[in-house]
Amino acid sequence: MASLFKDLAKLSAYRDRRFHGNQEEYERALQASTTVYVGNMSFYSTEEQVYELFSRAGEIKKIIMGLDKNTKTPCGFSFVLYYSREDAEDAVKYISGTMLDDRPIRVDFDWGFEEGRQWGRGRSGGQVRDEYRTDYDPDIL
Amino acid sequence: MSSWRALLLRVGDKCPEYGGSVDYKDHIVGISERWYSGSALLRLDTVLGQILCRVFHLVAINSSFPVIAATHYLCYKNFVCDRWPIPLESCYSVLSEEMKHVTVRSQNLITLKMKYRVLLTWISWILLQLLLQCAEQLPHKIPFYSVLVGLINLENEDFGKDVVDAIHSKLQDALLSENCDKIRISLRFLTALDLPGSISSVIEVFETLLSSALLTIDEEAGNLSWQPCADFYVTCILSSLPWGGTELIEQVPEEFDRVIVQIQSYLLVRKRSYDNSFTAFETDGDKSVTEKDFLEDLWDRIQALSSNGWKVDSVPRPHLSFEEQLVTGKSYSLPHISCPKQSATSQSTISREKDNYEVKLKYPQRLRRLHIFPSSKTELKDSQNQNDVSVKATNIDSRKECASYMASLPVSFRYEYLMAETIFSQLMFLPQPPFRPIYYTLVIIDLCKALPGAFPAVVAGAVRALFDRIADLDMECRTRLILWFSHHLGNRLTEEWWHEDFWREGGGAKLLVKERMVKGLTIWEMEDQQPVEFRKVMDVMDVGSNFQYFWPWEEWAHVKDLPRWAPQRVFVQEVLEREVRLSYWDKIKQSIENAPALEELLPPKSGPNFKYNSEDDQGYALSRELRIMIRGRKTAREISPWVEENIIKVHGPKFALEVVIQTLLDIGSKSFTHLITVLERYGQVITKLCAAQDMQVLLIDEVSSYWKNSTQMTAIAIDRMMGYRLICNLAIISWVFSLPNIEQFHVSDRPWEVLRNTINKTYNRIADLRKEIQTLEKGVSIAEETASKALKEFEAADARLEVVDGQPVQAEKPGRLKRLKGYAEKAKEEEVSVRESLEAKEALFARALEENKILFVSLYKSFTNVLMERLPPVSDNGDLPKLRPEKIDAMSVDLEEPPSMEVDHDNGQKDESENNGERVTHSYDIKEQDQWCLCTLGYLKAISRQYATEIWPHIETLEAEIFSEDTHPLIKKAVLSGLCRKMVEL
Repeated sequence: MASLFKDLAKLSAYRDRRFHGNQEEYERALQASTTVYVGNMSFYSTEEQVYELFSRAGEIKKIIMGLDKNTKTPCGFSFVLYYSREDAEDAVKYISGTMLDDRPIRVDFDWGFEEGRQWGRGRSGGQVRDEYRTDYDPDIL
Repeated sequence: MSSWRALLLRVGDKCPEYGGSVDYKDHIVGISERWYSGSALLRLDTVLGQILCRVFHLVAINSSFPVIAATHYLCYKNFVCDRWPIPLESCYSVLSEEMKHVTVRSQNLITLKMKYRVLLTWISWILLQLLLQCAEQLPHKIPFYSVLVGLINLENEDFGKDVVDAIHSKLQDALLSENCDKIRISLRFLTALDLPGSISSVIEVFETLLSSALLTIDEEAGNLSWQPCADFYVTCILSSLPWGGTELIEQVPEEFDRVIVQIQSYLLVRKRSYDNSFTAFETDGDKSVTEKDFLEDLWDRIQALSSNGWKVDSVPRPHLSFEEQLVTGKSYSLPHISCPKQSATSQSTISREKDNYEVKLKYPQRLRRLHIFPSSKTELKDSQNQNDVSVKATNIDSRKECASYMASLPVSFRYEYLMAETIFSQLMFLPQPPFRPIYYTLVIIDLCKALPGAFPAVVAGAVRALFDRIADLDMECRTRLILWFSHHLGNRLTEEWWHEDFWREGGGAKLLVKERMVKGLTIWEMEDQQPVEFRKVMDVMDVGSNFQYFWPWEEWAHVKDLPRWAPQRVFVQEVLEREVRLSYWDKIKQSIENAPALEELLPPKSGPNFKYNSEDDQGYALSRELRIMIRGRKTAREISPWVEENIIKVHGPKFALEVVIQTLLDIGSKSFTHLITVLERYGQVITKLCAAQDMQVLLIDEVSSYWKNSTQMTAIAIDRMMGYRLICNLAIISWVFSLPNIEQFHVSDRPWEVLRNTINKTYNRIADLRKEIQTLEKGVSIAEETASKALKEFEAADARLEVVDGQPVQAEKPGRLKRLKGYAEKAKEEEVSVRESLEAKEALFARALEENKILFVSLYKSFTNVLMERLPPVSDNGDLPKLRPEKIDAMSVDLEEPPSMEVDHDNGQKDESENNGERVTHSYDIKEQDQWCLCTLGYLKAISRQYATEIWPHIETLEAEIFSEDTHPLIKKAVLSGLCRKMVEL
């Protein structure tokens, strides 16, 4: 029924601007990749939690936690590398939108991990989108 | 104007049969009228219309060929690739891109007209495909689609033919490729078709299928191993009758009777089939032979239906309103179809049984449903709807749309129970669920969101009912249930704001959030300027704090007082363990604060258990020294001699192993990545220490002791070590079957998790090799082709002669010849090298298969040994020992009483349910030894079943080496039923 409603194989609109190559090459990389990007994670989620959840979609080769480039602490995203493409597809289909540490995580195909991509790209060291977050309000803390 | 697609998808929604009040007649007439008017095609779909306008516009100003070519190409590509919804948009963008490069030429009205016609043909083809797809994927609406086909056929005479041809080829393909769902649905569409004359084709198809079925079960000419396939054909025929039975009986009564007589004779000849291996609930005794099996059950229902005039409430009959028109249409008959030929009966018993096993996998019985709820909740007017729901559940591979679709399934009765039962039946489907188990978490959550009032309570009821019967549940199903439930509990309701739009940079909602530093507690805040978005988030939070997902643990607090091995207690303990893994210890502790008694069942707060903590510990100094060396980035090659010199020579290899492993694990204890880094870097040191299998067992012991507080890390570490080939699977099996672990078999999943991982990893290796070999085989045939082509080309050039001065002389230039020769040689080399790599892989594969055989031999030996020591002996008169107590069958009692849950108030059963709320049926009186045996036998069966396809090839070896006369019959029973073999040998 799925095909009547929505195409699952559709890639998301996000494009990594650090990818060297044109759009076609980018899409090809995504379509063959066995790596998934995991976003909207809690800063406190551990590799072991990721392992427990994502190993339910298939055997995991590696996990790379996204780190704040200044503090070297997790900053809310990670990469999970699978051995097979089908497992990566299942992770995108079945894990995206489920909760990890009370946060709905987003899982998407990634074009492949390279050294350096583990660092947050925001000016502060974390992720860019975190820069939209407002400062801590001393009242709530 | 709504799009063509939407019209087709929604046809018949809310009609009286589905509990609505909308007249579907207008709907159908509307669609068919649109179809009739050719020019209106342009308006059928807005996007399509846009494209066409654009195309025509451009065609008008430049009549160049590429436009049509591009349209053709795109349509073709999109349909061949079977990716329906996107093409139109991309069609448009690609086309407009194309247009930019088209040179403007003068008008040519004649070609324009021609192109217009070509396009129309294409469009009607597109719509035909869409219609077929709808029929296939929304099968409960088949009556509507059939009428549509009939009506369109009145105007467009080729249309009926196209549809009939398309169904024919679909059915034929499905039969040959043994695609059960497609066979069933094509047959149903065919039966329901409202084309004059199609009925006789239907009878012909039925007869073809029946004669194939009858042939299969013929004692002499047939092949009894294939009975599941024959059963399946008959099931299909029977279940398509509600969709066209009336017409069949009216129009071709004699032929129809003939079909019924044939079905009856089939039922008389066939043998009843019972599958113990694929049932989720186990019992000690064998099922009574007098019980009717699934096919006989269906036959009974169909007979009841026929005496009722074939009227089924849930099957709408839209064609009645159009009967007069429809008979005037042109008739088409279906070309003959053929069933796949079954292989001849194999000679040996074993290969016959193996065939039978494979056929059973291909043609599963459809009615294998768990009876979770009391039958009053799920009883159906006919078996059809259940099939529909399960088709739905099988087909939904997408997310929210499909869940909401299921939630609005047009049936006139309350079907949440049926839906939940179907989903749970699929989750527990043996040997494999149709989808990966993790998928069902998603389906259930989506349905809870779509039906927040009803579904969560039904799910909770299902969990309670399954929990009550957990002791009888198959071990594999128990594991799946634990994994699902722990995941489910971590997922509370939230709005779907994880959706792409939400994150798209610059657009949509931009949540400005901040988090509090306390782990687990997240507070979302919005900036003032986005009040609307803020409200949205508040709604999310509101729904998020919905208590439906919090499990009332106090209901289960009593399991604490059960013996450690009681399945209910183990279940709760394992759910908590998995919850902790997905979340963290303190949080889960907090979640059970209503049932503090359960804290005892929480796993230990995880953390490593390092041996050398004070200077008094022997090994402290050595470990420290080793750690310093590793910090100083010494390589494995430098460390190995140091270990040899300073530890092995002084304290012996065992102590060396202890120090090295403890230290390495401690360095790698921080995270999964730390662990693999250490193993990658210093694996060689470990290999040097543990070449022998018994040392590897000690190594695993050391891992297990270091991570005794974390089952997860133990399992991961062992898994990785096997991955780096530091330990072999036989060592792991030997460790799993060592005494301390054997004693845990019935109280914990810990040893089983390690065992499962090991077998799975071995299996994955083989599966990978199979895939690689397949690719290489393709590569070889391509290389062969290229090589022979290149050679031919060279030879042809070489042989070309011309006559110069009366003498034959080479006609080709020497340069070209040389080049061609070079190509040919290179292609040959290529071929040889691909062939060589294929041979190498095949050798690897052969070795892997051999290793696999050794693995299973060792596994079965271990199982047999431990079980033989502990199983109660067979009594003198040959009765099997009863491990489960003779109870007044608590199971059937459960079935008759509604489980304690929110029950259907419409049925006036409220009082009963309240009584049930206090019902206490928690007595548990199985002795530890008996429970141990039940559990171990259960895993033996589950593993045999899961890897049956890998075990079958080695069955003779296993029989020769392991199962002897003295083997306990219960062991044999577990293995045989896992492998789906008949019990006759016993």
